[in-house]
Amino acid sequence: MDKRQGVQEASSLELRYLDPEEVRVWRGEDGRVYCTIADELTVLTPMFMRSHPLSDLERYLSVRGVEPKERSVAMGKEFGLLRNWHRLDPHSHAIVEAELERRYLYAKVFAILSVRDYSGVQVCEFDTDRGLRQVTLRDVRDNVIYLGRSRVLVTDAEGNRYDIEDVNELDPDSLLRLARIL
Amino acid sequence: MAESNHIPEDVRQAVEGVRPAADIRLVAFSDLAPDGNFGEQFLALADDRLLVFSSDGERPALLKDLPFADVSKVEIETLVGGAALRAVVDGRREDLISFSHAMSDAFGRVRIQLDALIEGKPLPEVDERATRCATCGLFLGEYTRVCPRCLRKGATLRRLLGLTKPYTGRMVLIGSLMVGSIVAGMVPPFLTMLLVDRVLTLGTNYHLVIWLVLGLASAGLAHTGMEIWRNRIAAWLGARISFDIRAQLYERLQWLSMRYYDHHPTGTIISRLTQDANGIQDLLAFALPFLVVNVVTIVAVSVVLLAMNWKLALIAMVPLPILFILVRKLWRLLRRAFHNWWYRMRRFHGLVSDALGRVKVTKAFSQQQSEIGRYQFRNDDLRAAGVYADATAGTFFPLMWLIIGSGSLLVWYFGSMLHMYGGITLGMIVAFLAYLAMVQHPLEFLGHSTQWITRALTAAERVFEVLDAESESEQSRGEVELEEIDGEVEYRNVGFGYEKHQQVLKDISFKVKPGQMLGLVGKSGVGKSTIINLLCRFYDADEGEIFVDGVPLRDVSLWSYRGKLGVVLQEPFLFSGTVAENIAYAKPEATPEDIMAAAKIANAHDFIISKPDGYDEQVGERGNRLSGGEKQRVCIARAILHDPALLILDEATASVDLETEQQIQEAIGRLIEGRTTFAIAHRLSTLRNAHKLLVLDEGRIVESGTHDELRAKKGVYAKLLDIHRRTSMVGAIDG
Ligand SMILES: Nc1ncnc2c1ncn2[C@@H]1O[C@H](COP(=O)(O)OP(=O)(O)OP(=O)(O)O)[C@@H](O)[C@H]1O
Ligand SMILES: [Mg+2]
Repeated sequence: MDKRQGVQEASSLELRYLDPEEVRVWRGEDGRVYCTIADELTVLTPMFMRSHPLSDLERYLSVRGVEPKERSVAMGKEFGLLRNWHRLDPHSHAIVEAELERRYLYAKVFAILSVRDYSGVQVCEFDTDRGLRQVTLRDVRDNVIYLGRSRVLVTDAEGNRYDIEDVNELDPDSLLRLARIL
Repeated sequence: MAESNHIPEDVRQAVEGVRPAADIRLVAFSDLAPDGNFGEQFLALADDRLLVFSSDGERPALLKDLPFADVSKVEIETLVGGAALRAVVDGRREDLISFSHAMSDAFGRVRIQLDALIEGKPLPEVDERATRCATCGLFLGEYTRVCPRCLRKGATLRRLLGLTKPYTGRMVLIGSLMVGSIVAGMVPPFLTMLLVDRVLTLGTNYHLVIWLVLGLASAGLAHTGMEIWRNRIAAWLGARISFDIRAQLYERLQWLSMRYYDHHPTGTIISRLTQDANGIQDLLAFALPFLVVNVVTIVAVSVVLLAMNWKLALIAMVPLPILFILVRKLWRLLRRAFHNWWYRMRRFHGLVSDALGRVKVTKAFSQQQSEIGRYQFRNDDLRAAGVYADATAGTFFPLMWLIIGSGSLLVWYFGSMLHMYGGITLGMIVAFLAYLAMVQHPLEFLGHSTQWITRALTAAERVFEVLDAESESEQSRGEVELEEIDGEVEYRNVGFGYEKHQQVLKDISFKVKPGQMLGLVGKSGVGKSTIINLLCRFYDADEGEIFVDGVPLRDVSLWSYRGKLGVVLQEPFLFSGTVAENIAYAKPEATPEDIMAAAKIANAHDFIISKPDGYDEQVGERGNRLSGGEKQRVCIARAILHDPALLILDEATASVDLETEQQIQEAIGRLIEGRTTFAIAHRLSTLRNAHKLLVLDEGRIVESGTHDELRAKKGVYAKLLDIHRRTSMVGAIDG
């Protein structure tokens, strides 16, 4: 019972870091994802959230969810942080990866195919890792985040995010169009 | 069901493939494929099954099929960059369909509808706020109906010119001066030609010289005089028009809805008032007249040249289009360099204004060194870009003049040839060259004027966007004038989210009798201020209805209603001005005695008097020369002076000490007599007099009753009380 105590106290004042060895993520008979921590506690509908979704994709994954007895906590509570989730066993790793993919829906931009200007609104066509997409940008200056020297995140009028990982990697035409947008 | 008429054929087929002859009650399309790529899938409620199909392949493929009866609830999970609709089945969550934010509104409505069906209500009509252009489907947001894509540039120009209507007389004058100055400008080369041909070449007629020179002088004077006059009128007109625009804009800004402000940062709005209004001024006063002058000059010169000698004229003009294109190309290069520079300049500005904004923090954490480092990095960046831009410009202009000037080489060559065969006089060649020089500037201008004019038009459109944005009063056609408010307030099944896909309030129902005090309690972020925002009608509820004195709030005229509210908001808002002005904001006609009486009740009088300038003390920008508690007391005094029928206090006493709070408590106690009061407080002691307390959790009311009832209940409130007691802040409550 000792261990279980530890698991629960995690939510109080101190951050709890999970040992990748003691975390197991699995898919039940019913097709749903479960997460077992230290063979003691099974988290229902676990959620894996990046603590630094922009600056550090890999480290500090927050494992949240609902304990079996409590049923309806919207955000769930944090069961702990994984410093390096790549050290999960391969099976768990695959499921976590899929879950992350599902949650973080931003598209990486490979090229900007066209830009048309309509008075403060720009309609662009982006080629992304998730396919072609027509994007409406409004008040771009307020909706651009610069990360470091060459990474740019653009939020469109509808609230969708587009990630240009390295501006300098864009082809010259795209770069010129980007300059027009910004 | 009537709606099934609108269901697309392929959807109907797909559904009937699974459930023949089903009644399709609801369909919603997502813009994401099941794997998260851009694509399509859809959700359908057919009979009593929830079906999800992927429609990416040749024919839709069934992905999910659940019995709707098993679903106890439908929720939207906000993901990053999108969201997912989930069904709760047996207390577990089942993902149905995910979608990008583009579809959030649509699925927000679907959630409301499905939830209603689950509760056995009929399918509700959820009013669809049109967010897209009806013609082209472009996303517009909620506050404007004008689609920039469907709007023609010509229309904007026409509207802009419409702004000059009150000044038609001056416009006509400008036009005439323009024509006059062009004509005057065309005279000198002609006179030069006469001088060369009739006097110099022939060596006679020297008596004509004085007249020709006088002619040249008066043409020059007339030309310059008319130019000056025109520029001065244009300057007046431009300033006048941008004044009009700023006035209209400012008035509009007062009436825009809170949602508009949620989506437009203040910086953007300020730049519309300043930069964009100036852009319009530029366009009307300079760019447009310049454009007209230049085009007319080019046409006039061409006509004159053709009349003088059409062969030479054609030869001289052939290279012009080529030159024009070359110049345009060069301009583009230059523009790129400058864009780069401007872009870095903006980031640099951002850095500096950020850094100045956090001077206090910087010092407190002694981070000066790292600030300097950051600054140097950007400064360096800026320097490099500046060097590049200026160097490019330094190369560009001489080159451009070389190219433009090359046209005259042709005239020299072919003109000399023609002269040799006697087809043309020397004076003509000289005049030709002079006329050609006259079009060089206009040509260069036309090369980049499109850019200039587009930029100004864009500024104009941004301004018009604000002017066309729907104001609150247009969005709500409330007509019931509330003369007197008794103060009965009822919330009936109210649901609300700032963003459609993120519900903040769920199913809020309660009733407050006139003159009662209602306390709202709950953790930070549960939606207490939101309940109040709805009561102030800063936002309209998505679901359910709010009644004041039995009248639905939607039908109440905003103007008459808001005047009856007294609000002390969570962020005490003061504007720069004196203390007295701040207190009298909602009642400018208040006498000094009224103001002091209100301040006294709010327990602000003594601190105000102790300031060197008393009631005339300047509070500074946003009141930043006052302490947090002082600001709050000034705001309370403002509400007291306003003497509202409905009083709203959001954390009105959060930043005052306990003693002051007790005094304010008494003041409020006196103030709330006979008025309906909504009060929010983290310190529960503040609310002990409330007739009723609502305890919120996750956007729902989880408990309600009086202090004593709730304490006896040993629920959430009792727990909160317990925490307060342990941190020894209540004392008095328990008493
Ligand atoms: N203008 C807004 N746009 C989007 N979301 C908002 C906006 N204002 C508030 N929210 C969100 O709505 C939720 C409820 O906010 P609200 O201000 O009602 O909380 P509260 O109960 O008053 O909290 P506190 O006690 O901290 O004042 C929060 O999650 C908040 O982040
Ligand atoms: Mg609040």
